[in-house]
Amino acid sequence: MFRIRFHGRGGQGMKTASRILGTAFFNAGYEVQDAPRYGAERRGAPIFAYVRADRETINERGIIDRPDLVCVADDTLVGMPAAGVVQGMDAHTVLLINSHETAETWQKRLNTEARILILTATEDVEDRAELPYIGSRCAAAAAALTNVIERETLVAALTEELGHLPADIIAQNREIALRVFDEMAQHAGLVAPGSMPSANDYDSPDWIEMPFENAAISNLAIHAGATSVMVRTGLWRTMRPVINYPKCSGCAWICSTYCPDGAINVRADGFPEIDYDHCKGCLVCVAQCPPHAIESIAEHVAREQEAEASA
Amino acid sequence: MSKQSPLHFHRMKDMPSTHLLGTGTPTCAGCGGLETLHTMYDILGDKTVFVNAAGCMTLLSVYPFTPFRGGWLYTSMASAPAGAQGVRDALDILLQKKKLSADENVEVVVITGDGTAYGMGMSATSGAMDRNLDFIYLCYDNEGYGNTGQQYSPATPHAARTSTSRGSHGYPGYKKDLFAIWAAHNPAYVATVIAAEPLDLAKKIEKIQAMSGPRMLISLAPCPTGWDYDPQLSVEIGRLAVQTGVWPLKEYSDGEVRHTKVPKQRKPVEEYLQLQGRFRHLFEPKRDAAGIAEIQSRINAYWDRVDAG
Repeated sequence: MFRIRFHGRGGQGMKTASRILGTAFFNAGYEVQDAPRYGAERRGAPIFAYVRADRETINERGIIDRPDLVCVADDTLVGMPAAGVVQGMDAHTVLLINSHETAETWQKRLNTEARILILTATEDVEDRAELPYIGSRCAAAAAALTNVIERETLVAALTEELGHLPADIIAQNREIALRVFDEMAQHAGLVAPGSMPSANDYDSPDWIEMPFENAAISNLAIHAGATSVMVRTGLWRTMRPVINYPKCSGCAWICSTYCPDGAINVRADGFPEIDYDHCKGCLVCVAQCPPHAIESIAEHVAREQEAEASA
Repeated sequence: MSKQSPLHFHRMKDMPSTHLLGTGTPTCAGCGGLETLHTMYDILGDKTVFVNAAGCMTLLSVYPFTPFRGGWLYTSMASAPAGAQGVRDALDILLQKKKLSADENVEVVVITGDGTAYGMGMSATSGAMDRNLDFIYLCYDNEGYGNTGQQYSPATPHAARTSTSRGSHGYPGYKKDLFAIWAAHNPAYVATVIAAEPLDLAKKIEKIQAMSGPRMLISLAPCPTGWDYDPQLSVEIGRLAVQTGVWPLKEYSDGEVRHTKVPKQRKPVEEYLQLQGRFRHLFEPKRDAAGIAEIQSRINAYWDRVDAG
């Protein structure tokens, strides 16, 4: 059985990637499961979708924990524990990353036995949430790596799944997908179907005594207010608003009121301050700031600058 | 009840500088509904209990996380006002039996989306108004079933593309006039609001704090995901909804409707429409002049009626 996971951010098209690949597998005669993993996460949040394909009936359910291929649309997710990119990878796994960096760099950085391939990041977009065609590119690369899907089968699946889009957009996706498919042809067959795990492969769980507890203890009521602040929605951000304080005129009631998340606080000196742990990067503040004192920079660039500054 | 002394919102500078609603909620970046809610909550304060019908905002309180500092009750789409009735009755009984002191009392606030308010929750809402239930109702109206992928709702405007209206002309129906339907019940208060006009919103919240009975608010909630636009345009689009006359800001009480912010010179509606992907088919590949003119003429007809009194 092929077990393939696509990792991206909400909005990058990972669900579409899984649908295209799933349909391609299906049209190639496979039994298929393809599904996005839905949570409460939104645009910019780490999400994943997965595909299982087999010649036999698939009885396996749930999230793929032993992937044959992990396809990553946005390399900033690799180091993010919440994204779970490296989960369950072993020497059998192929890790495909859309990145400007080399496979050697990633191999060293991750210190993994998995084989790493690079899907060369072509379009240089500032906002990673806007990566164009990445869903089609990931699906095409995955199709080529399995070596069981023909070019025509991929094109038919892509056309079927993107059918609601204008014809020129579909044509562009098709062209870009085929380019990636041909590029990856040199590695055709690198992704091999993993074996069916037997029950013996699973660690038996430890026996845990769970005594009957008073319902008030075991089913905890929340007595603290605003516990949502423990959720770091700042991880969703692909663009970062930065206040240029010399330009800021201190009308903090504007940005602080318009910020949908209430993630701009007013400091004791009356100036606004952005809470980067929770700012989702909508950039409403950038658009609304009267003296244009809030700029936006790509989150990955901001992080690189921070790393350099602290080094 | 939290009938505090008025805060007097005269200018933007008077807006609350501290935010009571917790950050870290899972709503989309740039959510116009959350923007209304946080402004409302900053003013109403933590002596509130929210009764939330299923919808986008259900995701606010995913156990064990909540952005609220007080209670929250989740109901099915059709029954939030019925849930509010139960909570209000329980509070009143506790107050009567002196098991709750007057300063421990809380305001019951229903929060639902437009699918609930304009559609399947209408019956329970009508009943609550009949019974003169003492509560606040906030509808965040993003003009479709946003949480499930923007299927059309009775709040969807004419010509908007939704995931169930994919044809070349978008949604063929017309947005239901919920303000008029609610006002026809003669509740204590009905108003339309929008987060992009925070002062108008704040004044209305301040006003209803001093009132009792059903106090009904409909907030247009610009929705980057469902309306297909860059999230940073959320406030801009909200403001254009008011300036083009698409979303009249008004209030109803004691049998009278008053417009609270009348655009002096209404902007052409296409300035509002063209920023949103859901109306793109009106401009591309060919401009649908007749379609745009029809939308404009309906807006003009509304304001002509307002001007005629």
